[in-house]
Amino acid sequence: MKRIEALGVLAGLTERHPVVVTCAATSRELASVRDRDNHLYLLDAMGLVGSVATGLALSVDPSAPKVVGIEGDGSLLMNPNVLPTGGYLAPSNLLLVLLDNGVYGSTGALPTYSARIDLERLAAAAGWTTRRADTPDGLRAAFGELLTVTGPAFLYARIEEGNAQGIEKLLIDPVTITGRFTRWLREVHAVSGADA
Amino acid sequence: MTYAQAVADGIWAAGTARVGYIPSVTVAPIVTALIASDGGADGSSPRVTPLSREEEAIGVLGAVAFTGRLGAVVMQDNGFGNALTALTTFTLSYHLPLLVFANTRGGLGEYNSMIHSISQPMPAVLRAVGLPVIELDRRSGPEDWHDTVREAGTHAVMTYRPVVVLGSFWNTDGKVA
Ligand SMILES: [Mg+2]
Repeated sequence: MKRIEALGVLAGLTERHPVVVTCAATSRELASVRDRDNHLYLLDAMGLVGSVATGLALSVDPSAPKVVGIEGDGSLLMNPNVLPTGGYLAPSNLLLVLLDNGVYGSTGALPTYSARIDLERLAAAAGWTTRRADTPDGLRAAFGELLTVTGPAFLYARIEEGNAQGIEKLLIDPVTITGRFTRWLREVHAVSGADA
Repeated sequence: MTYAQAVADGIWAAGTARVGYIPSVTVAPIVTALIASDGGADGSSPRVTPLSREEEAIGVLGAVAFTGRLGAVVMQDNGFGNALTALTTFTLSYHLPLLVFANTRGGLGEYNSMIHSISQPMPAVLRAVGLPVIELDRRSGPEDWHDTVREAGTHAVMTYRPVVVLGSFWNTDGKVA
């Protein structure tokens, strides 16, 4: 499964979910497949997807669809605290999808630890309910199963190395992402600061 | 009112929805006060929870702003080195209000022989990356600390960015280190 195929599947499954997406090729490829207001692209800050998704999951109305994070193996390994923190705080509505291609795909394809360190087992040890997939159908099925879980859920998706070619860079001012994502949350899920 | 209680009350008075903390002996009484006022015990409550590192604290609590509310981080100033990338490329760049209260180390009352290496330049480092920094010390009382922390939170919301309050506990009723 190529990353862009996995992202195509995820785009189809997450129309009503808040989606936090890791930087560079992953954000860019997701935006090329489908660019929607519910996508919170993190244009830098490697490793922060899980933390931001955890904070969102703790803050949105629990009746809203699960907060979905889309993270890479290299990025998760830059802030592996995401796993114990998510397991400890245990938001009921958090689903982290890890797209593992075994390399830092946006930074010269240098290898990550993932050939020797099982990131799914690391998540499971930290208290996440996990599933594994390596095909588009498997990804769809695992995503569906994890939607029924109450508590932090971790979908380990093995993908091929390599980035899709001819994809445009996301050269947008981050504040415009904040504006549209915040408006989407407010309008679609009635999340407001009225009680602040 | 103790200084620690003043900071805790000021954080809630700012309208803070959720607090994350990274432990230090100096902020422990603040954390204890926050948790007690939120109906918790043993280091956590519904709206006050521990985190393992400052960088993730900026991610977790900065994200609260997407829901139109304010998050706060309570920490020690020697952890800002872990948090600068997140503070700049996430909260500053995405225009997210966030209230950060940090106790200072490395100054008067310090016993540690190396912590000043990170703590002493920190106000200048934070200002160099464009973060507003408000400094508190023994020269004002708990009422002033309370009002300053509360207003710093309001200022963060008004200006759509993180605001840092640095508190030196030397010669207050608190513990420096
Ligand atoms: Mg990778």
